[in-house]
Amino acid sequence: MSNIILGVGEFGASNNPADTVKTFALGSCVAVVLMCPKTRTVGMVHVALPESKINPDKVKTRPGYFADTGIPALINQMASMGCDPKGRGFIVKLAGGAKIMDPNSTFNIGKRNALAVKKVLWKYGLGPVAEDLGATYSRTVSVAVATGEIILSSPGRGDWKL
Amino acid sequence: MQPRASKEEILAAIKQVPLLSPSASQLLQLTASTDHDIKEVIDIVKYDSALTARVLKIVNSVAFGLVHEVSTIDRAVGYLGERMIASLALSDSASALFHKELQGYNGPKSELWNHDLRTAIAARAIAAQAKEEMNPDLAFTAGILHAVGKAVLSDFLHNSASELLGEIDDEEVDDYLAGEREVLGIDHTEAGYELAKNWELPDTLTMPIRYHHAPADAPEEHRALVYAVHLGCIVAMMCGSQSSDSLQYRLDQNYTQYFDITAEQLALIVLEVNETFETLHDAMLES
Repeated sequence: MSNIILGVGEFGASNNPADTVKTFALGSCVAVVLMCPKTRTVGMVHVALPESKINPDKVKTRPGYFADTGIPALINQMASMGCDPKGRGFIVKLAGGAKIMDPNSTFNIGKRNALAVKKVLWKYGLGPVAEDLGATYSRTVSVAVATGEIILSSPGRGDWKL
Repeated sequence: MQPRASKEEILAAIKQVPLLSPSASQLLQLTASTDHDIKEVIDIVKYDSALTARVLKIVNSVAFGLVHEVSTIDRAVGYLGERMIASLALSDSASALFHKELQGYNGPKSELWNHDLRTAIAARAIAAQAKEEMNPDLAFTAGILHAVGKAVLSDFLHNSASELLGEIDDEEVDDYLAGEREVLGIDHTEAGYELAKNWELPDTLTMPIRYHHAPADAPEEHRALVYAVHLGCIVAMMCGSQSSDSLQYRLDQNYTQYFDITAEQLALIVLEVNETFETLHDAMLES
């Protein structure tokens, strides 16, 4: 078994049943998990910010940073592995988008990330079948490629299935 | 929740924490003062051979991607900046504190350092948005030190996280600080403040440690800097943290008296924190 670890703004996919796709300690970031049942491929992108327009240069080196460029980049990678290039038939699950206690609108980046992710998915005709978004705790996300099972964990809160 | 230790025990433990190395102590004091020259920083580094070697290794690490090797300490200090030099000296001098496993907060090794480094980068970027002039280097150094009290409390908080988080969720305690006080009679801001006083750090650095979760209570002359660290700590938690207290604190919205920060500027700050953290973290790992 090998772990594919994704850092902030990274994306990756695997169709090896021995793999686990993982990202650590999402705060206001959102993990978008895409699963292609036809090819049994699992992909994930660790989105840090809603829109790439704040720093277009960053898109060239790390498109996964932003919802509007990260999700298309992940879908393209999955298409290169035999999945539908428009994401048709994908199963979507989301986690993250946490906030500090008593946030104002400026500091609630988690909420803006979650909304931006859903807006981009909507353009593909996709929506999440399961989500664990918002609240005031960090999340580590782990997806088993073989089963598609997603385990979330948070320090002091144990782990649970999404 | 049952108390795990008394405040007296914690204060006694703080007294046992080793003092900082002379160069770390001097660098923190010097860089916190307004009237100093970078030559003074260079002189301190020059007389510490271990620190000199470390600074040269870091500046020449792949992470910084310099074309030509930097072989003199003058150029290395000029390139890295005095805030980074002071932080390196602190990290090496108090490595046992900053890089230990944060068991009491269910956090892995170096979690405290990683959070502090993100806070420092964020506080520096936030200082640039201040309504009145603020020293970004000072905000960086204050950010590096702000949560040092957790290194002390961690040893006394074993297996408390789950219960403490339950009390916060049920609104029995206000935030993680209140939880620490319930369990130990002291929170990490007060513990850190006591430690910083033992280290004889100047007020400009002890005040952000003491008040970073209650910036409105800070003495007026330090309040703007304390708010910068308050916001920096919050941005760092938003960028990801592997400890049980992450995001379990409140935003003081009166920060708007001191800073103009739009949603777009905050997004840029988040980007800067992630990018700079990766570079500095990789450079320190390589060296």
